[in-house]
Amino acid sequence: MSTDVDHCAVHTASLLLLIVSLQVIAANCSVAAEAGTRAANTALCESCHGANGEGDPEAGVPVLAGQSADYLEKQLRDYENGTRDNPIMRNFAKGLSDSERAQLSRYYASLPAPGPHAVQVAAVDQRQWARGQQLAHQGAEAERVQGCNNCHGPDGSGLPHSAPYLAGQSAKYLANALKSWQQGTRKNDSGQLMVSVAKQLSADDIAAVSDYFSSLKVAKN
Amino acid sequence: MTQRLKEVDVVVIGVGMVGSIVAKELAAAGYKVVGLERGQARFTVPEFQSPAIHDELRFDIRKALMQDNTREPVTFRNHGSETALPVRRWESFLPGTGLGGSMVHWNGQTYRFQANDFQLATRTRERYGRNFLDPDLTIQDWGVTYQELEPYYDRFEYLLGTSGKAGNIKGKIHPGGDPHESPRSREYPTPPMKEHFQGAMFRKAATNLGYHPFPQPSSNLSQPYTNPEGIKLNTCVFCGFCERYACEHFAKAVPQTIILPVLLANPNFELRTGCQVQRINLDSAKKQATGVTYIDAAGREFEQPASLVITSSFAINNVRMLLLSGIGKPYDPASGKGVVGRNYAYQTMSTVASFFDEDVIINPFMASGASGTLINDFAGDNFDHSGLGFIGGAFIGAVNTNGRPIQYHPVPPGTPAWGKGWKQAVVKHYNHTVMFSLHGSSVSQRQNYLDLDPTYRDAWGQPLLRMTFDFPQNDLKMAEYVTSKGVEIGKATGAKQVAGSPRRAPYTVTQYQTTHNTGGTVMGSDPSTSVVNRYLQSWDVPNVFVIGASAYPQNASWNPTGTLGALTYWTIDALKNKYLKNPSALVSA
Repeated sequence: MSTDVDHCAVHTASLLLLIVSLQVIAANCSVAAEAGTRAANTALCESCHGANGEGDPEAGVPVLAGQSADYLEKQLRDYENGTRDNPIMRNFAKGLSDSERAQLSRYYASLPAPGPHAVQVAAVDQRQWARGQQLAHQGAEAERVQGCNNCHGPDGSGLPHSAPYLAGQSAKYLANALKSWQQGTRKNDSGQLMVSVAKQLSADDIAAVSDYFSSLKVAKN
Repeated sequence: MTQRLKEVDVVVIGVGMVGSIVAKELAAAGYKVVGLERGQARFTVPEFQSPAIHDELRFDIRKALMQDNTREPVTFRNHGSETALPVRRWESFLPGTGLGGSMVHWNGQTYRFQANDFQLATRTRERYGRNFLDPDLTIQDWGVTYQELEPYYDRFEYLLGTSGKAGNIKGKIHPGGDPHESPRSREYPTPPMKEHFQGAMFRKAATNLGYHPFPQPSSNLSQPYTNPEGIKLNTCVFCGFCERYACEHFAKAVPQTIILPVLLANPNFELRTGCQVQRINLDSAKKQATGVTYIDAAGREFEQPASLVITSSFAINNVRMLLLSGIGKPYDPASGKGVVGRNYAYQTMSTVASFFDEDVIINPFMASGASGTLINDFAGDNFDHSGLGFIGGAFIGAVNTNGRPIQYHPVPPGTPAWGKGWKQAVVKHYNHTVMFSLHGSSVSQRQNYLDLDPTYRDAWGQPLLRMTFDFPQNDLKMAEYVTSKGVEIGKATGAKQVAGSPRRAPYTVTQYQTTHNTGGTVMGSDPSTSVVNRYLQSWDVPNVFVIGASAYPQNASWNPTGTLGALTYWTIDALKNKYLKNPSALVSA
C-alpha cells in the first residue's frame, strides 16, 4: 500500500477496505509499552511501514526508522489536523492520543535507519544524479532555491528537531512529498519554506533530487 | 597607459544596496549605466550556501566579507593631537566589499528615523531653548523632512518585504506596534517575526514597567514574499548567522534577493567587478565631472567618461572619493571651515546583561538578525530631556542575533578574562543569560571628522582615509542615563544578577560596536555646512551625486539602513524627474 496521498499504488476500493480493517485493529489496540520498546500499536504501522520501519520504497511508503521523534510526532498531529492532507494517515492519526503519538514517534526514532535503497548510483542517469547532487548541496540560482542540505543536514542526514533526514529515503515518497508541497495538500511547515522551495522545482528537478537522496546512506549520528 | 573607454550616461561607484537600486532605476529609464564594483561578483548560489557560509572563524574572526584592509585600510586616532595608525584588523565597524556591498552581511534591522530627527537642531532649540546644546556640537537639520521621505521609506520597505507591526498608520495608533513612530502610510509588507524567549521576557518586564514593547522590524522575512520588482524571497529559518554572513535561504533582503536579478537582466546596465575607482575626473574649471578613472584587477588603468557620476560606496568611502577627487572643500577642525569630512558620527552602543539560574533556558542561538523585541520609550526625543544635560537616546531591546560559539559568551562582571575560571563561567552562563542592546544616537561635534592621511597610502598609492573620533560628552551622558533604564528592565525580568555596561570613552577600534558610520558628506540647505543639497547633489560639481549614510548630519537612535533606502529613492525621483530632464544644480547655492 502506498501512503502518500497523490499517487497511490493501490486501487481506491481495496484501499478503503484496508482502512476499515485497520481502524478495527486501532480500536482494539491498547498502548502499554515504554518508549524505545516495541509499542503494541505498531502493528498498525507495520502493515505498511514494515516490521522495522523500513518502509516500502517501491510503493512510496517512507522509512520511519531512525527519523527524528519530534518530526514524526508533528506529522502525526498534522495528519489529524489536515495540514498534511492524506486520507489514509488521517484515519490512523485520528485514533491516537497524545501519549500514543509520542510513544510511537520515539519508538521509530530509536530504530536503526536502513542502508541505501534499491536505487543505486550506478542505476540512475549520471547527469540527473549530478543535478540532484547540485540541488542538494548548493541549490540553483536561476530557480532561486537554496541547497536542501542547509536545513536537512550534511548529505541529507537530517537536523533534528524539525528537518527530517532524506538520505536513504524512498525516492517515490520524496517525489510525492515535493509534489504535495507544490499542490498545497501539504502545508504543515512554519513559514511555508518547503512550499516556496517545491514550487520552484520542475518535474525533472523533483525526480533528480529525490533519486539523489534515495541513493545515499543515512549518516550515523 | 590609461585606456579611454566609450562615454556612458551614468557611472555608479560601488554596486551595493544604493548602487544597485539607482542603477536599476536609471537603466530602466533608458540610460546607459556602468556599475564599478571593487570586489567580486557573488550570489546566493553558490557563494552563500552552507556549510561554508556558517564558518565563524572565516567570517566572524577573519572578516572574509569585508573591505580588504591589507590593501585599503583606514587610519584612526581619537584626537587631533595624536598620530593616526592604520587599522589592520576590522573590529569596531565592518565595511563590506563585493557585489551587494555591506548589505550582504547586515542583520536586516529596518527602522525609520522619526520626524524630529530630520529637524534635530530646530526642534531641540524649540523644546529646550537656545542654550541647551554644548557649543561644540555641530548638529543640524537635514534639509529634508520625514513627511517628504515617507513615500520613499514605504517604497524601500516594500522592496525588501520587511516583517513588522505598524504602531502608527496615518496618525492612528495601532496596539502592538511602536506608538512613538512617526506616521506611516500603511502596514509593513509582511507580519512580524516570531518572538524568541529573550524577547518574550523583555516584553513582559517592559510592559510591567509601563513601556511600549514592539517587534523589531526585520528584513529577514517571516514568510515568502514577492517584491514589486517581481523577485521572490523565502522565509527565514532563524539559523543565527545573519550579521557578518550572507544568507543561504534567499530570506534576507540584500541586493541579490531584491534587485540584482532585474538589474543584471537589463542590457542598459554593465557590471564591472574588480574595479578600483581612483578618482572622479573634473573639467579644468572643476565645475563638472567628466567621468572616473579606475584600475581593474589586472592592474590596467581605464578612464570611463560619463555625463553623471554617482558615488554609492560605503559611507566613509564616499567621503574619501570626494577628497581624492578634489570635490568640495575639506573640513578643517581648527577653523571649523570646510565641509568634506565634517560631522562624522557613529552610534553609541551600550549593553545590559541579565544572568539567570541554570533552570532558565534561553537558547540564544535560536535567533535571527532582527527577531527581537524592543522599546523606543528612551529613544530620540521620546522623553523629556530637561535637566538631563544631553540630547538623543537609545532604543532598548532584547535584540540578540545569535549564540555563535566563538564570539558569544556572556559572563558576569568580575569573571577572569581567560583560563579555567573564564571557561567555567562561559559554560555556566552561555544558555542562561539575556542580553539587551541599547542602540544610542550619536551627535556630531567639531573635533570628530574624516580627512586624508598625510602618511599612509593604499595598494594603489592613494592616501588612506583618516578617522579622528571620540565619544562626545553628550553621548556618554546619554548612555549612562539610558543604561540605568535598561538595568531596571533587566531587574524586572527576575534575573539573579543584572550588569549594565554604558558606553565609555575612549572610543576604541578594537572592539565591535556597529558598522553605522555616518556623516562626512552631509546634506543640508547651506553650502557652508553641507557637501550636498537636499537631493544629495554636490554643491560644487552638480553632475556628482553622493548617496550614502555619509549624508547624515548626525546619527539617530536607530540602524541607518532604512533611512538610506528612503534617501536613495528620494534621490532617484529627483534624478529622473528633475535633474536628467535638465542637468544642472537642483538647488541654487
